[in-house]
Amino acid sequence: MKEVLAEKLRVGSTVFVALCALTAVEWFAARWPGALLWLAVIAAAKAALIAEYFMHSSQLLGEEGS
Amino acid sequence: MHRPEAARLSPHELYNARLGLWLFIVSEAALFSAFIAARYLNLGTQRPAELNQPLGLAITAALLLSSLTAYRAETCIAHGDRAGFLRNTLWTLLLAVVFLVGVVAEWVEAFHLFPPGTRYGTSFFSLTGLHGLHVLSGAVLLLGVYLHGRRGRYGPEDYWPVEGVVKYWHFVDVAWVFIYPTLYLVG
Repeated sequence: MKEVLAEKLRVGSTVFVALCALTAVEWFAARWPGALLWLAVIAAAKAALIAEYFMHSSQLLGEEGS
Repeated sequence: MHRPEAARLSPHELYNARLGLWLFIVSEAALFSAFIAARYLNLGTQRPAELNQPLGLAITAALLLSSLTAYRAETCIAHGDRAGFLRNTLWTLLLAVVFLVGVVAEWVEAFHLFPPGTRYGTSFFSLTGLHGLHVLSGAVLLLGVYLHGRRGRYGPEDYWPVEGVVKYWHFVDVAWVFIYPTLYLVG
């Protein structure tokens, strides 16, 4: 039980680091040519990470009641 | 002191509760999308140079960190770690307050630089105001699960209220993921 909890907390920390890295990239991407497109792609990637790992969006795709 | 067995959600009820919450989140996403679209329709990609970029980045970092602590709170209660749940919920609440104080500080500056009646001010105050209200309501809900948790509510088999509030909190973070570049970076 404790190992499973520790593993899940590690996954959360990894996702957080990825979100911070994408935010840093976003900050620089605002100065690149075609910035609007880059910013949209980065924001979508951040939202997808949060939805999948933090909000467990794929739970809904599982069997009803499972 | 967990709820009695009969009061807990069956797997079918839990699925329906999750589906209902996701439908609510989708409807909320449509509301935020309309406000974000209005910003681009009114202003294109223009933005004022006077925006407080360090403050915008700081409150973004606070909200991202609060998503991690909210995730940890839910994960801890799902695995029976009540102390970890309470500690992480408290951190999430603290970060929510930091975010709101940051938004208020930004508003104080913005009232002088681009008041609500100006084109950018209209988008800035409506988007940050709408989002700030969601942060405030999320913080109130987090306080509710924290107080119930302190009284012994919730456990590994019975934590839907925590899961629901934490999902809502993550949605508030996702909304900011799109609002931050829209207000602070584009242009």
